[in-house]
Amino acid sequence: MMSRMLRIRPLLSCATVLLAAAPDAFAGGRIAIKAGRIITQAGPDILNGVIVIEDGRIQSVGPDEKAPWDAELLDHPDLVAFPGYVEANNSRGMDRPNENVDVAPFLDVRDSIDPISSYFEDSLRSGVLTINVQHGPPAPGSGGCVIGAQGMVVKPFGLTIEQMVVKPAAGIKISAAPKAGKSRATQAQAVRKAFTDLRLYLEKLVQDKKDGKDTARREALYQGRDLDKEENKKGRAMEGNATWKVKGLEAIPRGEIDDKQEPLLRLVEGQIPAFIYCDAAAAVPLALEIARDNGFLAGTTLVLDGDSWKAADLIAEAGVPVVLGSTLVHVERDPVTGKEKETFVPGVFKKKNVRFALQSLNPQAQSLWYQAAVCVGHGIERKDALDAVTRTPADILHLGDRVGSLEPGKDGNVLLLSGDPLSVSTTVQYVVLGGNLVYDRSQDVRVKHLLEGVEQPNTAPRGVEVQANPHDDEKETGADEEKKKNDAGEKKPEKEGGGQDREDP
Amino acid sequence: MIPIHALALALALVPAGRREDEPQRRWTIYADEIHTSTGRTLANGMVFVNNGKISLVSTGREESPERELLKVRAVTAGLVDASVRIDAELQSVEQSSEISPSVRVADSLDPFSIEWDRQVRSGVTTVLANPLDLDVVGGLGVVLKTAGPESIEARTVRADAVLRGAMGSQPSYGNHPAFGRPTDFFSRRPTTRMGVEWEWRKAFYDAAASRKDSERAYPGSDLVLRALDGDLTIAIQAWTTQDIRTAVFLKEEVERELGGHPRVLLDAAAEAWKEPDLLVRSKVGVVLPPFPSNGRTGEGSFMAWNVARMLHDRGVPIALSSHGSANPEDRLPLQAGYAMRGGLDFESALEAVTISPARMLGVEDRVGTVEVGKDADLVLWNGPPFEPGSRIVGVLVDGVLKVDPREQAE
Repeated sequence: MMSRMLRIRPLLSCATVLLAAAPDAFAGGRIAIKAGRIITQAGPDILNGVIVIEDGRIQSVGPDEKAPWDAELLDHPDLVAFPGYVEANNSRGMDRPNENVDVAPFLDVRDSIDPISSYFEDSLRSGVLTINVQHGPPAPGSGGCVIGAQGMVVKPFGLTIEQMVVKPAAGIKISAAPKAGKSRATQAQAVRKAFTDLRLYLEKLVQDKKDGKDTARREALYQGRDLDKEENKKGRAMEGNATWKVKGLEAIPRGEIDDKQEPLLRLVEGQIPAFIYCDAAAAVPLALEIARDNGFLAGTTLVLDGDSWKAADLIAEAGVPVVLGSTLVHVERDPVTGKEKETFVPGVFKKKNVRFALQSLNPQAQSLWYQAAVCVGHGIERKDALDAVTRTPADILHLGDRVGSLEPGKDGNVLLLSGDPLSVSTTVQYVVLGGNLVYDRSQDVRVKHLLEGVEQPNTAPRGVEVQANPHDDEKETGADEEKKKNDAGEKKPEKEGGGQDREDP
Repeated sequence: MIPIHALALALALVPAGRREDEPQRRWTIYADEIHTSTGRTLANGMVFVNNGKISLVSTGREESPERELLKVRAVTAGLVDASVRIDAELQSVEQSSEISPSVRVADSLDPFSIEWDRQVRSGVTTVLANPLDLDVVGGLGVVLKTAGPESIEARTVRADAVLRGAMGSQPSYGNHPAFGRPTDFFSRRPTTRMGVEWEWRKAFYDAAASRKDSERAYPGSDLVLRALDGDLTIAIQAWTTQDIRTAVFLKEEVERELGGHPRVLLDAAAEAWKEPDLLVRSKVGVVLPPFPSNGRTGEGSFMAWNVARMLHDRGVPIALSSHGSANPEDRLPLQAGYAMRGGLDFESALEAVTISPARMLGVEDRVGTVEVGKDADLVLWNGPPFEPGSRIVGVLVDGVLKVDPREQAE
């Protein structure tokens, strides 16, 4: 265990540019951030303002008054304070997330998220502080899914999922686009079948109960579920607005419902949001049909790609918000004239009054500020463009009371930027996350390397750095030092070498 | 979709002597800011365009019934990309010889390609079209406008503008020795980096020797001689430090040994930031490839984000380019923005996509700045140029409006 911690610590210090002060140093304390300009995203900008964060939550945001005497002070009159960007849907930061099973809502991205993935490191340095990690698609090469795993909202800082988590069970991914190897028709049937199977399963459960069979109970016990827990003990009539209902579900203790079906029942009962991926306009009707028939339209967000904007009328009528793919200007070639036509996608949804959030899939642009800037360039109001990367995604994730703006009571997440958030030369200088200063650009060795080509000695993780630690046992330390010597290029005679090279007599 | 009233206005304003089907080439453009690429920025300025040329650049406002009026936030010169590829594919690579200086890329270009329109929409009005770098010396590049009459000759600004070739592994990439009967395109030499450099050296030495011994001449050796004499710029693709050194050392070698004085442009010199002194000493210009998000780019090279600022500060002439990439993120106006993100000031970033490449290609008398007498190649912006929050709303090529700001109003 100790050796694992040892191995990870140097990795972290490189990967996330952890400051010398550990995150816990501020926790429970107060931090005051003075900035030349505060863009609150909740009213007019504040010039020369101060943000006070206590116990990880924003206590006050206002014009520069005296910062509390007992608060740690970050004084940057030359910088701009901005709430962290919010990513409404993302399929990166996971290790081997591709799932062969078509319908897998019983899986959780908790088990796939790789905390030291460079994706989270990049997110932190570009100021994306709240990320909804969802099973693919549209992750490149994800192969797609029918019904994917349960996603979770995380922050891009921490070594374990527990440290990173903002909101577990944040949504289930459904794909209206064909999974690899499926046609559009088989995909549609597979999505519909998943819910038919749920209904048939629940009906059988009720029938079995009436018939006095206790197979479900025995299976639940066999799977190790605690049926005496309060929420497992009780039955409850089926809730939600699905066009179908299973009568008599109140007779089934919730704990007896199979783990494989239970997440879908929560979806149908409106207890967990759905993120439905549409690769094209052709997929939108299926997405809306599934959500309507099974009663979770109100909790649905469409994740759009390709020419899905052509179904904007359908989407507006359904009243669901959308997350737009990274290509904001859709180009299509007229099959007859051969001319290319460009359509600015957010503009289409703006006109139809559909709420949209932006997504940063695009590797070159790296981040959400760029997507928002492109919107401004195409005539979207600056306020709406900034909302599409802060408030709107926060609302989509049902985190509107925690992130997306700088207001008292919200999470203490603050970016300190070198200039206007939408300017090409602006960079993130500091990140305060939950009241802790977790990023300082001047200490970011990878940025230095990227920007100036300067190779720092510890740009890349190099394994174990040995620090004097009384708890290290001798053997570990010895091995580490030997490794270090080898790394430094000191040649040791090869013990297994041929007879001539052998030094031992 | 031109509104009816605008059409009517356009017809009413057709000056006497111009046929109706001829494009309008007379404009008055009002802009909050005119970035001239000469170091001067005019606030609340105007540009007059007459018959495809710029006839006035000044501050103030002055309407004329002869010219239609366009109003925008900012104007720059049409962008110049010193490294693009239009429809370049294996079929456009000459296979008969690794050294094929006399092959003209112009002959492989399709004036009807959709690529031209894409270039125009991203504000690029003048390009150097290059061959693929699958030959050591691939042939002659051509500088041409991205719009205009539908023939390559009519669009050409400068024929035979550069002699184009490559260092590094690309010319030999995939090649294998032609034992027995050649099986495919790649059954040929060189197969190594050494081989590539040897082909270059042989081309120069044979050409030089052919001055006295006509036996040593080869097809196109006259062009290599012109390049040796500095009449014809040599553009060499060299991504890595290793290949940059090879190119620079070869240049210095032919200066020393053959008495040549070639003018050399290093194209795609991603690692030029590593040894700027070498470039200063040898007086070569640098064309940079698109900025990669993680620094990693062609042939395993690493391109630091401050490379443009750094070379500029050291006095190395730089031009930004899309390097023929089809990726929308690699388009030229974005590259200027990325260079600014890496620390280059706006004025130098502007020059690096306008007058600087124009000078490198020897077409600075016609394009690259907003000045009286130059071709009316103009880009009209709805905000500060190169910011992602701004957009190109209008493009004129030779005074013809190819992208109309009045259709872009939102």
